[in-house]
Amino acid sequence: MLKKYIRIYIECIKISIAAALSYRLNFLLDSFITLVSNILFPLVTLLIYGSGAEFPGWSLYEVLLIQSIFTMATGISRILFDGVLWATMGHIIDGSLEIILIKPVDCLFYLIASTVDFSGSGLVVGGAVMFAIALSQLGQVTIWMVLQFIVLFLSGIFVMMGISLIMAATAFKWVGNSRIPEIFESIKYFGRYPQDIFHKSISTFTSFIIPVAMIGFFPAAALLGKVNHLAYIALIPCIVFTWGGVYLFKHMVHLYEGVGG
Amino acid sequence: MNFLLNKLRVIKAVALVTYKEWSAYRTHAMVSIFVGPVYFIVQYFIWTAVYSGNTTLNGMELSQMLSYFGVSTLIGYLTMDFADWNLQMLVRTGRFLTFALRPIHHRFFALSQKIGHRVLGLFFEFLPCLFIFTFLFKINMRPAYSAWAIISIFLAFLMNLYLNYTIGMTAFWLVQANGVRRVYLLLQGIFSGALIPLVFFPKVLQRLLLFLPFQYVTYVPIMVYIGKYNLAGITMSIPEIVGMQAIAVLTIALFSELVYRMSMKRFTGVGA
Repeated sequence: MLKKYIRIYIECIKISIAAALSYRLNFLLDSFITLVSNILFPLVTLLIYGSGAEFPGWSLYEVLLIQSIFTMATGISRILFDGVLWATMGHIIDGSLEIILIKPVDCLFYLIASTVDFSGSGLVVGGAVMFAIALSQLGQVTIWMVLQFIVLFLSGIFVMMGISLIMAATAFKWVGNSRIPEIFESIKYFGRYPQDIFHKSISTFTSFIIPVAMIGFFPAAALLGKVNHLAYIALIPCIVFTWGGVYLFKHMVHLYEGVGG
Repeated sequence: MNFLLNKLRVIKAVALVTYKEWSAYRTHAMVSIFVGPVYFIVQYFIWTAVYSGNTTLNGMELSQMLSYFGVSTLIGYLTMDFADWNLQMLVRTGRFLTFALRPIHHRFFALSQKIGHRVLGLFFEFLPCLFIFTFLFKINMRPAYSAWAIISIFLAFLMNLYLNYTIGMTAFWLVQANGVRRVYLLLQGIFSGALIPLVFFPKVLQRLLLFLPFQYVTYVPIMVYIGKYNLAGITMSIPEIVGMQAIAVLTIALFSELVYRMSMKRFTGVGA
């Protein structure tokens, strides 16, 4: 069973790469523009620090580290999960979800696998370059810090997956609303900045309710030696949130009533 | 006189139909009632933290900065435009032919559509968010000079349409104009002042921005709303900058018309 799913996933990746190579210029342009539009937030940080101001207690490179990790996580999410929303929405509008449902594979798995999109790779590369630059300007990083970073970063990826699935699940009820991502993008926006600049009630929300702080802030804090017990407590809501996304999506598929595709 | 009355009748008819058409999707517009204030909350904490050791930054106080982002959000709802997407889609699919045959300039039709669409934005985005910013967040959203602010926002409305329409017309040459559109939207996002006030950019870039049309879409109407304009060390009175904005709009309108005439010579359509 697992072998079959791995084989399908690899095939889907091959198809996605082949599609990207067929429209090389479009792919490169898409990757480049996606990258540039996502590094606007570091640009704001640079302009703020360039004007002589700062986020209290945070150096320029520390803030850039948070934002570079956020950018990498966004890129990975773009490659792996972001297509699920648009594919689900498209199938619901066209009434073609039945075609997916009758396939002998799990519907959610199929949608995730068939929407792998490498146009987010520009973000991962750009984020990684920014990450390396920021890290090179900061203090010594120990192996323990790196291990903490890896665990927290992966948790952040899972939060992104949860968000993508909740958005896709919303598309079942709010049919054809292309503005659904904006709602979640606005919440994710909190995760791009040091959490101690926000009011306590907001940082509690972003750490434990919709844990967007896990996308950039907590992994960066691990590398900066600023991580505390809250980051580990926040791992629990991350798991719950991701599980909630999967559950909600499957529940909406269960409720879905087609009229014959 | 008859000519003007006829134009007004066309605007009224098209705007009304567009308003009714988009009213069916009013909950889509109402997403802004959540998204706008959430983005504003983030800006509020960012700038409150940044100003913690400063009273002014690049000549702006914290209260002005918060008003800047509040006004930026609101003006965005009034001037929002997607004429570029619409036009390139019509050209790519060949449906532009049906518009080319009509006894009405397509850009005028697009303007009338935009009026109807943004009246909807006024009711379902602008007014609720103005209410939230004013009464919930206690931000000063009162324009310094109401009449000048209205004129400037109207000019920004036209500027955005003319610029986007001109970008959309690249489809007559490229057919698939998505790449050009995305590059333009990116540049506009950075250099219009929606991201951060333009006075935060390096001085050389500020001087360059004086000669580009982007500032007239967002930065200028916001500063007119707030009541003071400064860029690249140049301070202008409100009537002066609104006058400059009007000249810029006129220039872009003429350029847009020139490109339109060239486009019409290029356009070929088969079947309607």
